[in-house]
Amino acid sequence: MGLLEEIGGGFLGAAATVGGMGLLGYQILRRLVTFRIDRAETLRNLYRMGVKSIPIVIVTALFTGAIMVIQAAPLVVRLGAQGLLGWGAGFGILREIAPLLTALMINGRVGANNTAELGTMVVTEQIDALRVLAIDPIAFLIAPRFVAIVTTLFLSTIFADTLALLGAAYGGFGLLGVEPKTFYNGLTSGLLGLSDVTSGLVKSIVFGVVMALSSCQYGLGVKGGAPGVGRAVNATVVASAAGIFILDYFVSFTLD
Amino acid sequence: MSAANTHDEPAPESGIDQAAEAPDASIAAVVGAQAMELVGMGLGIASVFVRTLYYCLRGRPDFGAVVRQMFEIGNRSVVFLTVVMGFIGMILVLQGGLQVKRILPEFSMVGASYLELLVRDLAATISALMLATRVGAGIAAEIGSMVVTEQVDALRMCAADPIDYLIKPRFLASLVMTICLVIWAAGVAMLTGMLTAYIMFDVNPRTFFNLHLVDTGDLVVGLAKCLAYGAAIPVVAGHSGLTTHGGSEGVGWATTRAVVNASLAVIVLDLILSALGYVLLGP
Repeated sequence: MGLLEEIGGGFLGAAATVGGMGLLGYQILRRLVTFRIDRAETLRNLYRMGVKSIPIVIVTALFTGAIMVIQAAPLVVRLGAQGLLGWGAGFGILREIAPLLTALMINGRVGANNTAELGTMVVTEQIDALRVLAIDPIAFLIAPRFVAIVTTLFLSTIFADTLALLGAAYGGFGLLGVEPKTFYNGLTSGLLGLSDVTSGLVKSIVFGVVMALSSCQYGLGVKGGAPGVGRAVNATVVASAAGIFILDYFVSFTLD
Repeated sequence: MSAANTHDEPAPESGIDQAAEAPDASIAAVVGAQAMELVGMGLGIASVFVRTLYYCLRGRPDFGAVVRQMFEIGNRSVVFLTVVMGFIGMILVLQGGLQVKRILPEFSMVGASYLELLVRDLAATISALMLATRVGAGIAAEIGSMVVTEQVDALRMCAADPIDYLIKPRFLASLVMTICLVIWAAGVAMLTGMLTAYIMFDVNPRTFFNLHLVDTGDLVVGLAKCLAYGAAIPVVAGHSGLTTHGGSEGVGWATTRAVVNASLAVIVLDLILSALGYVLLGP
């Protein structure tokens, strides 16, 4: 009986969380449609979440590009087709790797931070103070963060696409002796289209929405003082990562 | 570990007014400061790693703590990893199959290439990224809250090295459990990939499950990656936890730092080991 209870409890907890995220999303959407969103706060969050994440995105993208080339290398050697290197690495990077890894990195950095901040505000009763001052916490705190996270992830993915391709081109040159020119020709030979790029970007928007909603939801739901904040940070990172992979599959499936 | 007696401290500043840092005038100063910070962090992590190894050889054997951490790190991650790797397997075979459709007439090579890729790189790396997120955040939050509530200082007062007491058990548990979890994850990803290939592209599971491309070199590289990630994650996260400062809010920062640094460590190690494997063992 204990196992059944545990499974049921887990499902109920997951359902409650997803439902809460849905309601939060609806409330944010209402503020966005009527433009009730704090502009200064949005810009500040964009700077803190977006601009400050650039170094991580650069490092991740360059390294992953090089890794992709190494993993695609045996295929190239086996088939003896150097022109395919650009296609293999490029398609992997644009469709899957760049959006996924950027999302995971930003999730660790921005999502966790956002939860910790909102959680601290809840614990120190700053959110209630906003309500007392007749300031709408959703319009002032949550909606700006939501916009900032989605924008950050979208732009970071474009950035990461470019840099990962660069890393792949020069990684291929260093390891396999494939000229960057050959790599570029493989990219543009017609096997890759705009659809590959847009599919990756659609994914990045979906990941951004998941990350923003879950990190705000867990942050606002903090209970139990300072240790509760730690627990919430842990839970949100795990939940976002799982959500990102699950939605990745469904987006891939529906786009093709 | 409950941090029950959090003493009253003045309300920590929220992140709202921390953002207004004055931008530095010269770019060289910014880059230099970043580089100095990075080198300092690297040295700190290296120091924690070396001391952990020393205590593994010379410290007190503490099987109870290691087994407890194994449960924390291993058993608690199984469900999460299973879900993630199951979806990864489906995504990879779906995307790969759609691409192969454009170029090659038949699917007999998809399974073999996919399994090779899984053994050599993907199973270990994706699992390690997930573990860096889950285990890294957990370790940093736990040790960070111990630092904030002065339990780590209490350990030092009792002439017990926090590395020996806190990080060594997590290190040993992570080494063992990472290998077990990666093998399990690879199995899950193989299974879902096989199912996807059968349902979407009508590839017979027997044709799909083709191990002739997986050679000893692939296995060696894959296992080396498991060991490297298993060692890196607790050390990096433990270092982030031990360097917590600034009250309960510092624990949040430490957790963030741990996840980012551990993920970066995984990616950097992946590149180094992949390149080494490629150069030494051939494609």
